[in-house]
Amino acid sequence: MRKLFWSLFLVVSYSLSAIGFAQYPKTLTDDLGRRVTLQAEPKKIVTMLPSLTETLCAMGACERLVATDSFSDWPDSVKKLPKMGGLFDASPEKIVALKPDLVLISVYGKLQEPLERSGITTFAVKTESYEDIFRTTRLLGEILNQKSAAERLVAQIQQQIYAQETRAAKAKDRPTVYYEIDPTPYTVGPDSFIGTLITKARGQNIIPKELGNFPRISPELVVQKNPQVIVLTHPGAADLAKRPGWAQIQAIRTNRVCGFTGEADNLLSRPGPRVAEGLKLLIACLHPELK
Amino acid sequence: MINAERQQHSPRGHARAWVFLGLVGLLGLALVLGVGQGAVYVSPNEILRALVGAEDNPIVTDLRLPRVLGAMGVGAALGLAGAAFQGLFRNPLADPYLMGSAAGAAFGVTLAVSLAGTLSAAYSSSQVFAALPSYVTLVAFVGAVLAVALTLVLSGGASRTHDLILAGVVVGAVLTGLTTYLMLKDADRIRAVMAYTLGNLSFMGWEGVRAMALYLVLSLPFLWILGRTLNALSLGEETARSLGLPLLGLKLLVIGLATLLTAASVAYAGIIGFVGLVAPHALRRLVGGDYRVLLPASALGGAVLLTSADLLARVLTRPAELPVGVVTTMLGGPFFLYLLWRGRRNV
Repeated sequence: MRKLFWSLFLVVSYSLSAIGFAQYPKTLTDDLGRRVTLQAEPKKIVTMLPSLTETLCAMGACERLVATDSFSDWPDSVKKLPKMGGLFDASPEKIVALKPDLVLISVYGKLQEPLERSGITTFAVKTESYEDIFRTTRLLGEILNQKSAAERLVAQIQQQIYAQETRAAKAKDRPTVYYEIDPTPYTVGPDSFIGTLITKARGQNIIPKELGNFPRISPELVVQKNPQVIVLTHPGAADLAKRPGWAQIQAIRTNRVCGFTGEADNLLSRPGPRVAEGLKLLIACLHPELK
Repeated sequence: MINAERQQHSPRGHARAWVFLGLVGLLGLALVLGVGQGAVYVSPNEILRALVGAEDNPIVTDLRLPRVLGAMGVGAALGLAGAAFQGLFRNPLADPYLMGSAAGAAFGVTLAVSLAGTLSAAYSSSQVFAALPSYVTLVAFVGAVLAVALTLVLSGGASRTHDLILAGVVVGAVLTGLTTYLMLKDADRIRAVMAYTLGNLSFMGWEGVRAMALYLVLSLPFLWILGRTLNALSLGEETARSLGLPLLGLKLLVIGLATLLTAASVAYAGIIGFVGLVAPHALRRLVGGDYRVLLPASALGGAVLLTSADLLARVLTRPAELPVGVVTTMLGGPFFLYLLWRGRRNV
């Protein structure tokens, strides 16, 4: 009898926890190292980074969004949501007025201070490496009480990436690549998520990893490394040859410069669920012979 | 050196000569180090061969050499403009940014870039005629001139020095605010624009070197001749007027030349702080207050300061780079405080 009671109790408590009871309040550590406590499952969420918007929607939680940052534009359903500003010019007042349960923010935007003062719960993320994409996805799963959806999404992204990698494996060569984010010039290190995508696309990043994930480099370095391909995610492709000493870089001489702007730039620059599409673009650029 | 310091108010000719020799020596050293060091190691032998044309090495001849010479030109222009402004306002804390000219130039460039829709244009300007200013310099100059004109109008003309400084600071602050606003509108490029406002000599090419040299050659003789006017002004406005000088016109000429130099610097290298403040200030202590000596000395001093700062910006974290404006501030700030502190002790 007692045995039956305990086993019943176990079954009941398991099933209760599976459907989400006894989950909240839940305390998680965010990427600013803060302990964030969620009192209940968040239903009204504001995302302040496009990659977070995309991850949340890809997990099937799009209907929980009440607003996003100004750059979030995927999936189409988020375009009509109110926009709260960008990374450096977000409007805390507008966000507070919506009374969200949770605001997902970047570690760089400094939004946590005004929002926390107004009693709004914030959770900060920093997605820089390839592994961070999956870590952030699983974190969001924890936060939203959507663990299985998060695991499915992780598996789906990894599957798509693997499919692209398999295509890239047929490539004959591994060209050296210089990837420029903006004309300062800022570039990407091999340990950043874009650096990992370059490796997966069977390219060799010319940037040494000691410089970190998104370093500003000397133009001399690029001339010395003489990359075979240059990838840009800003609209300055036409100006590269005019830079002092750059006209003789192999990529520019052989016209192997890929400029990605607009939607293509978004696919490459957002560490979210569509990275495999970004990888596809890179493969097409590095190995045009692969169809 | 000690000799020169002891006589800081009326240094004799030979002490001045030593200071100039010292500056030229430092500039030579900065040139050699600047070309010798960089993100990428090039052996001295290869550098020499590239310089005499025995070997084709774009890193030396297309990137490093123009960058070092360009830093010299920009530094000299800022030092010269700084000395001219300090003399004009009889204020040792005046710098090229005081009249709002740098903020105006930066606003002009940022606006042009926003309208053109790309920031790279600011770095690789279209070359119509090699020696003529590129359109970026023109835009910067127009922005700077308009800012200075606005400052002059607001302060009721160039005769009221205090009002002029106040109006200049306000105009500069407003334009800096507008520049920041434009940057935020173009958030995709925000880092590039940020880098520009912290000073960037990365893409200084031969065209920039030629342009800076042209502006310096054009303005240095005029400013040197105006040195007498600045000397007269240092005795006070009334005294200068009693000497029968056409003060208003001369003042406007000084403002115009210093604004041109500032605008060219901003157009080619972004906003670089402290050089125009520290160089004239430090050299006044070494060569005294005669502007016919102080102006060329400040140009040399500014060149030494910026070339050294850019060298540090390139090698401290190589092959990554620091913004040169951060380095000048770090070098210039403590140095300036030291000068102030020592000046207090000597009084």
